[in-house]
Amino acid sequence: MTAALVVLLLLLVLANVPIAVALGLMATTAVVAASGFDALPNIALVMFTGATKFPLIAIPLFILAGAIMNASGISTRLVAFASAVFGFIRGGLATVSIAASLFFAEISGSAVADVAALGSILIPSMKKKGYSPEFAAAVTSSSATLAVIIPPSIPLILYGVMSGASVVELFVAGILPGVLGGLLMMFMAYLWARRAKLEADQAFRLGRVWATFKEAGWSLVLPVIILGGIFSGWVTATEGAALAVVAALGVGGVAYKGLTRKKLARAVVEAGSQTAVVMLLVASSALLGDYLTEVRAPQRIVESIMGVTDSRLAILAMLNGFLLLLGLFLHSAAAIVLVVPIAMPLVEAAGIDPVHFGMIVALNLGVGQQTPPVASVLVTACSVAKTDIWRTTRTNLWFVGVLLAILALVTYVPAFSLSLVEAFFR
Amino acid sequence: MAALVSALVLVVLLGVASRKAGQAFVWYDEAASILLAWLTYYGAALVALRRGHMGVPTLVDRLRGRTRAAVVIGGEVAVVGFFAAMAWAGWQVQQALAGTMLVSMPAVPAALAQSVIPIGAALFIVAQLWSLPAALSGASAGAGEVAPPQSKSAPAGSPSS
Repeated sequence: MTAALVVLLLLLVLANVPIAVALGLMATTAVVAASGFDALPNIALVMFTGATKFPLIAIPLFILAGAIMNASGISTRLVAFASAVFGFIRGGLATVSIAASLFFAEISGSAVADVAALGSILIPSMKKKGYSPEFAAAVTSSSATLAVIIPPSIPLILYGVMSGASVVELFVAGILPGVLGGLLMMFMAYLWARRAKLEADQAFRLGRVWATFKEAGWSLVLPVIILGGIFSGWVTATEGAALAVVAALGVGGVAYKGLTRKKLARAVVEAGSQTAVVMLLVASSALLGDYLTEVRAPQRIVESIMGVTDSRLAILAMLNGFLLLLGLFLHSAAAIVLVVPIAMPLVEAAGIDPVHFGMIVALNLGVGQQTPPVASVLVTACSVAKTDIWRTTRTNLWFVGVLLAILALVTYVPAFSLSLVEAFFR
Repeated sequence: MAALVSALVLVVLLGVASRKAGQAFVWYDEAASILLAWLTYYGAALVALRRGHMGVPTLVDRLRGRTRAAVVIGGEVAVVGFFAAMAWAGWQVQQALAGTMLVSMPAVPAALAQSVIPIGAALFIVAQLWSLPAALSGASAGAGEVAPPQSKSAPAGSPSS
C-alpha cells in the first residue's frame, strides 16, 4: 500500500501537480482506502486546523516587513552604505553584495527576496565594472542563501513549528554560523577578485561612510528593534514580526517617505500570496502527518535505522546526504514539511538536539537553493544577471563549498551553533 | 486578501498591546489563527490563478504536443478532483457544525470559521480552470519560482525560502 502511494505521489509531482495538492491527494487516497468515503469530512477538519498554526503568522508578517522595506528604497541605501565601507577592497562590489545580503537577511527572512532586491542593484553594477555575469550571479545568490540561517528566517520558523523546537532558540543558533559563513564568503570573493584582477570599487573615505550611514541609519536600527525584542523575550517571534511591520512602515513611510499607497498594496498582496503557497503545503502536510502516524512510518524508520547503527555521527551523515539529495529537487518549504515529521523521531532517538538539527536542515536546503535543477535562489540571480544556470554553477561551486564547510562545522561541532543558545536560554 | 493580511497585523498588534497592558484578550490567538487559515485558502486560490504554487515543472516543460496536453490534463483532473472532494467534505462539516459556537468568541458560529474550506476549495477549482488554457499552451509561469515585489526578473508569486 505504502509503495503504491509513493508511486502515486511521484507521478503527480512529475505531472506538475502542485506539491501541496499531491501530498493531500496521497493522504486522502490512503484514508479513503482504509476507512471508506465516510472518513472524508475528517479531511476538511484536518485541512482547516492544519492551517491555523499561530506561530506561522510570523511568515506573512516578516515577508510583509521585508516587502515594505524594499518598496521604500532601503536596498539602495544599504548598498550605498556597504560600498562606502567595503568598496576599497579588491573586487569590492562582491564583498558589498555579501555584506548587504547578510544585513538584508535580518529584516526579510527570505533568500529569494534578498537576491531579487539586492541583485537587481548590484549585479548590473558588477557587470559594468568588468565582473563576469557568472561570478556576479554566483556571489549574490550564495550570500543570499546564508539568509536562511540568519534570523529572522522563514525556513527556521517553519521548522520550529513542524518540529516543536523553539523558534527563538533556532534564531540564536543561526547567528555564529551565519556570520562566519559571511566572512568566509568575503574571503572567497577576494581570492576570486585577485585571480580575475578585478579592481576596487571606490577609495575609502570616512566622509562618505558617514554620509551614507546617515542615509541608511534608520534601516540599520530595524534589526536592533526586531531581534532585540525577540531575543530579550519582550515579544514572541510572531509578535516581533508584527513589530517589524510597524517599524518598516515607520522607517519606509515616515523617515524615507518612499512608500506610496500603490507600492504598499502590492507589498501586502505579495506577502499574502507567498504565505498562501507555504501554508497550503503546511495544511496538506497535516493530512500526511495523520497518515504517517497511523502506519507508524517514522517509528518503523527509527527501528530499521537504529538496527543498523546507533552512532550519532553516522546518523547525522545519513541525514545530511538525504537532505542534500532532496534539496536538488524540492523547494525548501516543501522539503521541510515533508521531512521534518518523518525524521524527528529518529533525530530524538539518536539524541540529536532539535535546534541543532534545525540548523542542519536549513543549511542543507540552503545548498539546495543553489543546486540545479530546482534552485530557486540561483535561478532568480541568473535571471537578473541574464546568464546560464549551469555555467554559473561552475563558478558558484566555490561559494557552495563555503556553505558546505559551514554545514560540516555545524553538523559535527554542535557547540558551534548551540553555544549561544545554551549561554542565554538553557 | 489585502484586508486579511492587514487584519492579521492588527490582531497580532492588539494582542501584544493587550498583553502588555496586563489584560490579554482571550480571543486573540483563535481570531489570528482563523485569519491565517482564511488567508491560506483564499490566497491559495488567487495564487492558483497565476499558477504560482510550488511544483516541479521540469518534465512537463520538456514535453511537446499531445503527450504534453495529456499529462497537463491528467494533472488538472487530479487537482480539481482533490478540491472537489475537499469542498464536499467541507460542506458536510458545515452541516455537522450547525449551532456550534467558537470557544473564545461565543458570538461567532464555528461553521463561519470553517466555511473557508468549502468556499476556498470551490474558488481554487474556478481559478484552476480559468488558468487552464494558459497552462495548456505552455505560457504559464514556471510553478514554484518566487518573485518578491519589485522584481521584474523573476516569475510571479511564490514561496520564500
